[in-house]
Amino acid sequence: MNLTSDYYDLKLLARRVRAENGLTSPRVQQSDLRRIYFKNGIEIDYWPYPFKYLRGAFICDDLGTTVMLAQNLPQDPMIFTMAHELKHFLKDRHLGISYCDESNISKTIEIGAEVFASEFLFPDQYFIEYMQRMKVKRGYCDAEMIVKLKHQTRTTLSYAGLAIKAERLRYAPSGSLTRLKGWRKLEKLYTKQC
Amino acid sequence: MRQIKIPLLDHIGEQIRDLRKHYNSGEGISQEALAHQLKVAANTVSRWETGTYRPGLEDLEKLARFFGVSIISFFPQDIAEPENDDLLALLRTARQLHPEDLEELRKYAEFRKARRIYKGRSRPQPGRKGAKHK
Repeated sequence: MNLTSDYYDLKLLARRVRAENGLTSPRVQQSDLRRIYFKNGIEIDYWPYPFKYLRGAFICDDLGTTVMLAQNLPQDPMIFTMAHELKHFLKDRHLGISYCDESNISKTIEIGAEVFASEFLFPDQYFIEYMQRMKVKRGYCDAEMIVKLKHQTRTTLSYAGLAIKAERLRYAPSGSLTRLKGWRKLEKLYTKQC
Repeated sequence: MRQIKIPLLDHIGEQIRDLRKHYNSGEGISQEALAHQLKVAANTVSRWETGTYRPGLEDLEKLARFFGVSIISFFPQDIAEPENDDLLALLRTARQLHPEDLEELRKYAEFRKARRIYKGRSRPQPGRKGAKHK
């Protein structure tokens, strides 16, 4: 087994969980994830006290299976974190605890959770199909197209997540979207135009 | 089976009173002032202390933060001490975390543990002691 095949397996798993739970669009909502958590006996704690960087943590021990989520997260990052922690439940339960913040984001296990979450919220195949429908060729996707895609699909995958996906699938040149700041400004412009 | 010498609610009430009386290097804080700080009704603290009202876990968390103690300290030692493996595991794995986040995560782990104690060891109904709910 190598990393590439591990990540491939995680994507398969993400698509399987989507199928098992009747998720057929790139718009996965908090209620969908809450339903999956409930089905798997995962308790959710929305922690009202502020964290500096921490977004969520998964704990599986003799006290039960719990996902703690920073309550003040905006909608999209909250959904992404829930999907991320779901991967820890499905694959890393034996570790007892996993947490997600900026310090460990590069660890293999955490990259795996990011890969799973990204595929779970917006499968690559859907992304490719939407790009084709929008007549975007590989290498030519720009920020405006990503904004348009987010609006058309109403996906809950964040702009940052979409940017990573577009670059990884080679629809955008490396760094052209992931280094971009000001997605909200672009979104406002797009909304005005519409 | 372990015997709890005094009912859990009474123990928690005593702990709250004790912390309140010794607050600020022994100067203490009135029930009303504490209630104000915690944003609860003026007579709530008194009712917690006498075991008339059951403080919710969130209330205990607020009290713990106000007095700078662990939420676990509200529970009798004999039921709060075991099952510490989760905290040890947490501290082992979370070394890279920002110290503030690590501290907050520790508080969360204690909250989880307190919840187990609260749910597992005492089953009083919320509200007035002995009151029946529909």
